[in-house]
Amino acid sequence: MLSYIARRLLLMIPTLIGITFLVFMLIALSPGGIGATLRAAGGQMEATSAAIRAAYIEDRYGLDAPAPVQYARWLRRISPIKFGTRDQVTLANERISPPRGLEPPLLWDWFADELPEPDEPQPVVWEPGATPEQRDRTYRRASNAYAQARSEYIATNATYEQELGRIAPDLGIEHPRTPKGRLREGAFREAGRPQASEEWRVVAHAAEAALEEYREALTARAQLIATFEAKPYREAGLAIIPGVLSVASPDFGVSFSKSRPVVELVAVALPVTLLINLIAVPIIYFVSIPMGMLAAVRRGTSFDALSGALFIGLFSFPTVLAGVLALGFLASNQYLGAFPVSGLHDKAADTFTFLPSTGPDGVWSRGYLLDTLWHVCLPVLCLVYTGFAVLSKQTRAAMLDNFNADYVRTAKAKGVADRDVIFRHVFRNSLLPLITIFVAIFPAMLSGSVIIEKIFSVPGMGSLVLDAINNRDRELVLATTLMIGIVNLLALLLADILYALADPRITYG
Amino acid sequence: MTRASLQPADTPQAVTGVQLMMGLGHQEAKGFWADAWSQVLRRRGAVFGLAWVAVVAFFAVFAPVLASGHPLLMWQRTPDGSWGELSSPLVRYLHASDVLLLLGGVVALPWILVPWTARRSTRAWSLILSAVQAGFTVVLARAVGGIFAADDAQAWMRDFEQSAAFPWMIASGVAALVAVPAMLIGPLPRRWMNVAIALLVAIVAASAISAKWREPLERFDYWARAAQGEIKTVYTIIPFSPNQGETLLFTKPPGTRVGDGLPDDAVTPSDAAKVYLLGTDAFGQDVLSQILHACRLSISIGLVSTSIAVLIGITMGALMGYFGGWVDLLLYRVVEIVMAVPLLFLLIVAAAVLPRNTYVMMAIIGCFTWTGAARFTRAEFMKLRNQDFVQSAKAVGLPLRSILYKHMLPNGVTPVLVDASFAIAVAILIEANLSFLGLGPADQASWGKLLTSATGEAGSFLPWLAIFPGGAIFLTVLSYNLIGEALRDAIDPKLKKARV
Repeated sequence: MLSYIARRLLLMIPTLIGITFLVFMLIALSPGGIGATLRAAGGQMEATSAAIRAAYIEDRYGLDAPAPVQYARWLRRISPIKFGTRDQVTLANERISPPRGLEPPLLWDWFADELPEPDEPQPVVWEPGATPEQRDRTYRRASNAYAQARSEYIATNATYEQELGRIAPDLGIEHPRTPKGRLREGAFREAGRPQASEEWRVVAHAAEAALEEYREALTARAQLIATFEAKPYREAGLAIIPGVLSVASPDFGVSFSKSRPVVELVAVALPVTLLINLIAVPIIYFVSIPMGMLAAVRRGTSFDALSGALFIGLFSFPTVLAGVLALGFLASNQYLGAFPVSGLHDKAADTFTFLPSTGPDGVWSRGYLLDTLWHVCLPVLCLVYTGFAVLSKQTRAAMLDNFNADYVRTAKAKGVADRDVIFRHVFRNSLLPLITIFVAIFPAMLSGSVIIEKIFSVPGMGSLVLDAINNRDRELVLATTLMIGIVNLLALLLADILYALADPRITYG
Repeated sequence: MTRASLQPADTPQAVTGVQLMMGLGHQEAKGFWADAWSQVLRRRGAVFGLAWVAVVAFFAVFAPVLASGHPLLMWQRTPDGSWGELSSPLVRYLHASDVLLLLGGVVALPWILVPWTARRSTRAWSLILSAVQAGFTVVLARAVGGIFAADDAQAWMRDFEQSAAFPWMIASGVAALVAVPAMLIGPLPRRWMNVAIALLVAIVAASAISAKWREPLERFDYWARAAQGEIKTVYTIIPFSPNQGETLLFTKPPGTRVGDGLPDDAVTPSDAAKVYLLGTDAFGQDVLSQILHACRLSISIGLVSTSIAVLIGITMGALMGYFGGWVDLLLYRVVEIVMAVPLLFLLIVAAAVLPRNTYVMMAIIGCFTWTGAARFTRAEFMKLRNQDFVQSAKAVGLPLRSILYKHMLPNGVTPVLVDASFAIAVAILIEANLSFLGLGPADQASWGKLLTSATGEAGSFLPWLAIFPGGAIFLTVLSYNLIGEALRDAIDPKLKKARV
């Protein structure tokens, strides 16, 4: 059994890598690509400031790398086993790595013999007894200096590229830019370095300025690396072989669209979805098992036929329609108006006591608990009814399977009371399939929540996922895919284990 | 007395064993599927389901001529004041697919019902094949045309695209290409019949596509022109198109007349008397017309995406079940990857990032829902591969394709086909969900999309936008589930035993 569980857990790893890769590639290959809305936000700016913004975003989230590299980087960040330099954890709990490389200006060899060398960085030595805040300040100073130098370089580089693009028609280059707006270096190399002219002098001037800024940016970068290597913060994880191999908790990164760590966002949203689902699952079981049993016991009667028709009707009833009807007829002020229209808490819920109480002014307050229950009523209602149908049909079928079994006939023949036949013989043996059906219900409910959360404006995982996908928010989409995948696969595994525990005939080799 | 000489009239009421041995009074045994089918027809729910699906299919074919804002007949006033020049904008604005479906819809029933030597089921298969052939021709011709008209196409391609010969050259080229496989796999008993039918379909499809290649821009200014006395019009039964918005008539309840929203001098009295039977949506578009036009999306999404899923699933499942071992281990990882996250989540990702059109929608639903079919086929094939008939087929040295698809598949495909009916219901639900989330096909009427505007931001609620399209989704899904349930009960022997 243990080796079976271990094997299943190991097989989960390729599955999870596969599903995150599939989702990642879908987003990467889509029109606009990863972080599309993020980049589009710079649309109204001037060319240079847009370039700075785009470069900042690309550098911060590594968007300039090709898609497979981005995915590999993400895998490295969430992998608990890490190679090379260890990340450091800032005081604000964000993980930092050494700065990435810096591209030299386009066609730099037309303007200089060799790439400029950065100045030697000043050594970073901590005074004895330096507080974490002091170290933080030093690192931030170096980091800001690099950001400043880098953005200046990017601005001058953007000016230079603009000038270069302007003379492209004179060089006989028809399409100097790629569809993404970058200059085609190959086209310029093909055209060759032009003769000195008035226009060319302007370009050369801009190029020299860019090269100078490039040198300064390199210097600031070297200083930042030196500061990083002096370890201003505590390092993440545990070293196994120092400098080579270490273990650390997975880093899910920072969401592009919400600028907050993904873990925080999920920590807010997941309990909401779980709350709704955890209320719904017991309700489903408590209602549908007795219904299914009753239908099986009274098979062939009008109750059986009626409940069968009702269940297939409920099963076919679209969640979207149920949600919209419930919202419209029960919650909207136009009709009944008995339930809240959206959200999970009252606006004043922060001031409520937990339990219902009467305040000092004699006004009755329903309290936090009742308020929440009142808000989740309709979402839970829309979530459970499909489950009723699935589970009671399964219960009925499982009971009927056993009714025809030989041991039931034997029990009846030797005169066991009907009640005992049903509860002690048939029902206990019919429980097995009901364990596995949980696995079918649970993922369906997770995705059912997406629709319901959208209709009732509940800020759970469904809303988070929808936002993330619409913003092409790489970190958030991958993290939620991974988490939902893990929960789902664990539920599958759990069902198999429970199945083996409940039925001694089943063994896993 | 020989068996052939017996007439049904001779058969006695009660048959003894001796008579039976003489061949007297025996009943022709029904085939497996024919027997299952007759059992399905005995269930009231399934008959209701079939009837409703037939109604939806009817509107899927005939909606463009039943509900259109373009007049069926239109007379234009000549300068001398008399009514001259009769035309039919409705016919002019039909798409190539509309024309083909209408032709097919008219031909289908006689084709199947007229007595002929070929069996009815064979003729039905031939009809389905022709529909697939015509569908592929339309989609491929559009796709090829799209390549030539793309923004980054070469100059000569664009020039060619503009030329008069382009539509019929592309249409006939694609039609000929698609006709070849259709000729080869046709189900009719004689080869020449299959060739003839495939050629006929190709010619009709090519002429419809080239005739309707350049679609005129739709304009709905008939009311104003009629009010000014320029034209005289006769409309079809439901005189609104699904995309015909009227800004003064948005979110009107059922029964609203056109004259209720528009000033008297803008419409003629006969136009003003037109009724929005099921009200209008947030853009002032008729709800009934949209519901009828969306029937086609509903039917085609269900059928096409389930077909894709069944094809992928059977292939994967057959390979896994037959080979087992590491092939099974490897391919089952693919199944597990698709199953690792809830279906709707994957579909939301795919639908949000891929282009929004019907074909992409069908493809992604098909590509993510095949796991059920794969697992059923895998289980069946694992059982079958050790049976004698498979072993002997292997021993004789039959090619793998023949063992898998000719010998094993017919014995192992039943659970997949029974499940397909439920899969269609799921596909329709998924389409409704995605359209509700705003991820459905653009520029296409859809039941789920109508539901979206039923509830507003401020808590307003328009019941007719929820009840009618939602009811259509519910009834369709219910129908497929009822059919599927009857089919399963008819085929699954274990449940049959339990029911008695």
